[in-house]
Amino acid sequence: MSKQVPETIKKQVKRSFNSKEVKKEKNEKRMKLLKEIQTKAFKRAEKYEKEYLEQEQKLVELKQKALKEGSFYREPEPKLAFIIRIRGIVGVPPKPRKILQLLRLRRIYSGVFIRLNKSSLRMLHFIDPYVTWGYPDVETVRALIYKRGHARVNHQRKIIDSNEMIYDKLQKYDIVCMEDLVHEIFTVGKNFKHANSFLWAFKLKPPVGGFSTVKKSFVNKGEHGNREQYINTLVKKMI
Amino acid sequence: MTTQQLRPIVSVFPIKGKVKTIKQVPLPSVFSAPIRPDVVRFVHTNMAKNNRQAHAVSTTAGEQTSATSWGTGRAVARIPRVKGSGTGRSGQAAFGNMCRGGRMYAPKKVWRKWHRKINTNQKRYAVCSAIAATAVTPLVMSRGHRVNKLPELPLVVSDQLQSLTKTRQAVKFLKFIGAYRDVEKVIRTKKTRVGQGKYRNRRHVLRKGPMVVYARNLGIKKAFRNIPGVETASVYTLNLLKLAPGSQMGRFIIWTESAFKLLEDIYGSWEKPSKFKSGFYLPRPVMVNTDVERIIKSDQVQTVLRNRRPRSRKYGKKIQRADPYEDMSVMLKLNPYYKTKLQKQKELEEKNKEERKEIVDKSRKEYEDWLYFSEEEEEEEEEGSDEDREIEVLSDEN
Repeated sequence: MSKQVPETIKKQVKRSFNSKEVKKEKNEKRMKLLKEIQTKAFKRAEKYEKEYLEQEQKLVELKQKALKEGSFYREPEPKLAFIIRIRGIVGVPPKPRKILQLLRLRRIYSGVFIRLNKSSLRMLHFIDPYVTWGYPDVETVRALIYKRGHARVNHQRKIIDSNEMIYDKLQKYDIVCMEDLVHEIFTVGKNFKHANSFLWAFKLKPPVGGFSTVKKSFVNKGEHGNREQYINTLVKKMI
Repeated sequence: MTTQQLRPIVSVFPIKGKVKTIKQVPLPSVFSAPIRPDVVRFVHTNMAKNNRQAHAVSTTAGEQTSATSWGTGRAVARIPRVKGSGTGRSGQAAFGNMCRGGRMYAPKKVWRKWHRKINTNQKRYAVCSAIAATAVTPLVMSRGHRVNKLPELPLVVSDQLQSLTKTRQAVKFLKFIGAYRDVEKVIRTKKTRVGQGKYRNRRHVLRKGPMVVYARNLGIKKAFRNIPGVETASVYTLNLLKLAPGSQMGRFIIWTESAFKLLEDIYGSWEKPSKFKSGFYLPRPVMVNTDVERIIKSDQVQTVLRNRRPRSRKYGKKIQRADPYEDMSVMLKLNPYYKTKLQKQKELEEKNKEERKEIVDKSRKEYEDWLYFSEEEEEEEEEGSDEDREIEVLSDEN
């Protein structure tokens, strides 16, 4: 004798948005999308490798050319900076406090990318004693985003564990994978703002080997302020 | 309300002979009024205050002394003390609420508000609720009445009951109809009151038994008067304190037929107002259909709902992920080009290595050649000047 299924349950199953067929369809779609993303990711990563290499070579070429001609080659000013907060939250005056908040540097050893322009340079001037900053290279940007990159998803801090996460949020800016994100940040593209705000502020570890003295500026054998390309070695110690 | 169109039928029973239906009457609308224990509780607690008698403490109690404080400097507390000497009372503290023989704190006054006004409509609401509850068997049982052997609830009985005059007849009727078990309970559980009421003319405590509601008193009042636990009431003046004793709804009521029918006129319905309470309609329930589960599962509701959202991971497990620079599988998930990149780097390194090796080999060979050549030269030109040889060596090094 077959079991009698109540009418309401039959209807519920029919109506169910989680029925087997619907789930299957959804899953297939998703798998297809993931495949697309991964192929795109591969091609773009390849493209960007070439691009970075070309950029480096171009720089060298221009320098050599200038040397040959006996003139000077002035390198373009850096567009990207990585800032790390190296002082705690106690006893910070209101203006630097506000600026640090605006830059999302709310705790010690937190780091953010920032595009350099007149306004942001002025902001950095105010917070110099509380941060150290410099111009990161590709490998630093990569390491930060791969190893310590967390996304801001639904007001939550979630580790980036797949390209799908990036695709969901940044597809409309043509950023679909990790390498896209790295490229956008490093080259400070059109959608730098969106790529950067997608990333939660980096939470770094205290540096291996320690600091000399945070109270002095880097220029004076201390640690705070602009340290240009030496930020890369510091990040390696803190990542 | 739909109940108005189809009202259930209640049987009317005789008062002796055989327990069978002699007539059927429709259930008055009151019994479908909303059962609101909160309203009944509120009205009951306030109504119960209305039969209180004023009491107070004497106005002069504790004040009948001329005590004065001794002031400071006498190593005693500054409380007023009784004047004079020659008696134990002298020097004792007086007047304060903490003093022995002193006046109490805030002496009770007769003009305390003993009675409570309740809105008429609230009172009527409560009574309607209480009456409706008397027809709900679980409520009557939970109030503690023994109603297992009753033929029906609400229990309606022929009007002949109103003409009973003898207590014996009344008891016989109760036994006949199956209500005597409730009375037996009352008799069995008669106890001396706990507390000081026992010597304040409230010695015994009785449970509440059945209540008999009549339309006309033709002797019924006296007949049931002496039966412990049983109360009688006219249907025109139903008292909430009797319908829901202790604000507990579900009194066991025995209605006479005419009393039962009169309920429709006295309390009215949702369409027709009461004939005796001007402008009064039965209270409306907040929900007409209280089967919430059914409503939610109905087609009309389910088809309009949105999709169920996926379970939020907010308080769930944190997604751990290995370091991509240590775990290749994680790296490849994020950057599928990585492996190829490493391969290419390796190839480049190898190529550079080879090139480097060529250059190193070439220069080494050149050096060795020069060394061999200079050795030969040494052998050949032993007599040459030191200076010349040195110059030669230098030029060869360049």
